[in-house]
Amino acid sequence: MSHAVEIRDLHYRAGKSFEIRELALSVPTGSMYGFLGPNGAGKTTTIRLMLGLLRPRSGRIVVLGGEVPREAPRVLARTGYVPEQPHLYQSLTVDEALRFHAAFYPSWDWKWADELMGEFHLDRTRLLSRLSKGEMGKLEMLLALAQRPELLVLDEPTDGLDPVVRRDVLTALLEYVSQQNATVFISSHLVHELERICDWVGVMDRGRLVAELPMHSFKNGIKRLRVANPPALPGDTPFVLLSREAGTGAVETWIVRGWQAPMSQYFEGVGAGLRDVVDLDLEEGFVELLRTFRVPTS
Amino acid sequence: MFKQILYTQWKWTRLPLLVLLLAAFALPVFSARGASAAGRDNWLIEQMLSSLQSWGLVYPLLAGTVGLILARSTWSADHAGKHIYALSLPVPRWNYVLMRFGAGATLLVAPVLALWVGALVATVATTLPPSLQAYPTILALRFGLAAFVAYGVIFAISAGTNKTAGYILAGLGAVLLAQLFLDALGFETLFVQSLLVKLVLWPGPFEIFTGRWMLFDV
Repeated sequence: MSHAVEIRDLHYRAGKSFEIRELALSVPTGSMYGFLGPNGAGKTTTIRLMLGLLRPRSGRIVVLGGEVPREAPRVLARTGYVPEQPHLYQSLTVDEALRFHAAFYPSWDWKWADELMGEFHLDRTRLLSRLSKGEMGKLEMLLALAQRPELLVLDEPTDGLDPVVRRDVLTALLEYVSQQNATVFISSHLVHELERICDWVGVMDRGRLVAELPMHSFKNGIKRLRVANPPALPGDTPFVLLSREAGTGAVETWIVRGWQAPMSQYFEGVGAGLRDVVDLDLEEGFVELLRTFRVPTS
Repeated sequence: MFKQILYTQWKWTRLPLLVLLLAAFALPVFSARGASAAGRDNWLIEQMLSSLQSWGLVYPLLAGTVGLILARSTWSADHAGKHIYALSLPVPRWNYVLMRFGAGATLLVAPVLALWVGALVATVATTLPPSLQAYPTILALRFGLAAFVAYGVIFAISAGTNKTAGYILAGLGAVLLAQLFLDALGFETLFVQSLLVKLVLWPGPFEIFTGRWMLFDV
């Protein structure tokens, strides 16, 4: 499997309080990679490192075959980037912003940019400082898409947008991906949004990658089990026990990862009874994963 | 790319640039009018030169202002966006800095030309005594060079972060404080003065700002 983004042993430190340690991350080419994490987890910093906007202390970053930051300009020419905060020059009009941006990208597609302008109902003559948050979000996405990138890096692209704008933006994104087979790296804390569109997921917390796996494995592998007469010490389980909580009577609730149906035999072996297996959605799985990660190890 | 950078630069500075253009055009015209008035009444060359000299301080001040405004505006929009946009553009950083510098320097030509035209108009409109000569082109070139020096220095300082600018200011403040402290203790070490002298006398970078800025001279 080829990778659009590969990060190995990345180390970055900003001040005394924040650090990214031993980060390893692989984004398969052509995938929609959801990059999940709570606020302050290090998602934006990782993206900025990935694009050469920040320089790591150590480690290796390869994006579209180019070493970053050494080959950042070559990589950036093939990458569409939507940052977390609007970053464009506020004193320009929409039309001026388009012309400025287009001048830097040889693959810029004016025809498609004009189509997107129509779809997004953007006024060419409007100053950027006068655009609403939704309009700015659409313009940022338009700029990223019309350069026909091989890789799209979207940092919380729909955060704060209303549902209609969010739908418009995601529709344009999905349309592009279906046409071009581009790779999308999309960071968000809106878990449900990623659940719908992504086929890979990476979870980050406190500067470290907690998990990285195909979305279906993530969604299907995390279950809530209701266990009667559970053993005091679970011993060697065939799944990863993320948490256990006492319920009513002798029934406990277990959150497990890597669950498969034949594993129910484990409970027979330890004299317990498996009452129920409940699927968790991505958000519940995400919360449980982070909760386990944050439990201090004794 | 450069065309677009130049366009943004022009857009950000067009209003102050217009004011600077008018000032640059008017300065030699007004200085010559003052000199003519002095010359018409008494036709005393010394009085005329003295009048011109009193305007001489305004030229380097205006040149410094032109450099300051163009250099500050070069980076203000990028500073506002924390440089994220500039850094995410697919050009090497040195290339982007060079283009921004070039755009500002290109716009610098406009006030220099305005001053040159103003100086030519003033020269044509003034009847000079035979012992005096007009130097419109040299004055404009000198003005351009001074503005370029100011632009270059302030561009370099502005290119850094606020932290860097803070360090520079703190460094200057520390030097001044040290001088004041030494003065208070009665030491005769005038290192601030000697530093200034080194900066403003040849081959110091700010030598261009000193000396006689005269449209008409012997």
